[in-house]
Amino acid sequence: MVDVMLVLLIIFMVITPMLQNKVVIDMVAVVNPVAMPDADKDDAIVVAITKSGDVFLGQNKSAIDVLGNQVRDMMAANPGSKTIFVRADARAEYLAVENAIDAVRTAGVEDVGLLTQKREGNPAAGGSY
Amino acid sequence: MAMSMGGGGGSIADINVTPMIDILLVLLIIFMVIVPVTPKGLDALVPQPPKTKQPDENKIDRTIVVQIFYHGNAAPTYKINETDYAKAELLPRLTDIYANRAERIMFVKGEDKIDFRYVAEVIDIGRSAGVDHIGLMTPRILAGQ
Repeated sequence: MVDVMLVLLIIFMVITPMLQNKVVIDMVAVVNPVAMPDADKDDAIVVAITKSGDVFLGQNKSAIDVLGNQVRDMMAANPGSKTIFVRADARAEYLAVENAIDAVRTAGVEDVGLLTQKREGNPAAGGSY
Repeated sequence: MAMSMGGGGGSIADINVTPMIDILLVLLIIFMVIVPVTPKGLDALVPQPPKTKQPDENKIDRTIVVQIFYHGNAAPTYKINETDYAKAELLPRLTDIYANRAERIMFVKGEDKIDFRYVAEVIDIGRSAGVDHIGLMTPRILAGQ
């Protein structure tokens, strides 16, 4: 009985962090990314762009025309952060990414962190250029 | 693992330790797996519109723009400033260019229809070449807004 409860507990503990990143993004794998621990913070502004070009601000679906204002409001509520993070799908059209960056640029963002994965595995097979 | 019930002062039950240790180990492993996943990414800058409309001649000479061109389903082609380069040549060429420069700034401009991963790859190549400031050229920046 107790075992079952604990197993359930463990299962939920595993699932919860996965649910936080609701937007499923297949990120680009690159050779030399830098660690961006700030992107994990609660107040980080993360713009996600899916393969189909949909834009998400945090967990919520947004639109390009309102994204700029939303980001401006978020930055006004939380001054000091001038960086936003873009989680773009590897196969997303670059236009969608450009539009999102243009939208947040008007909000005064100068620094964009393009979230990626570290490319693992055999360097000879495409790990280096 | 026997339970000793009764005895001196009421009932004293020995906790069965083995399953508990199992559970603790599983928890430990789970947290070990979760913790190292810190987000990683490529840092890029978004150019802000210049205060003065007069471009600085000196800077134009030194500006490096890597362009990425769309070719349908075929692999994209690349240009450094006005010269074509194959993807494999980009890294040696950029390394060469930035080898004796103090300000290592590169601009990346991709056509609208290319996949984002090609842009990320070029930024990555730039990072490998030692560029420390990478600017993304977007349509509205090019339009001067």
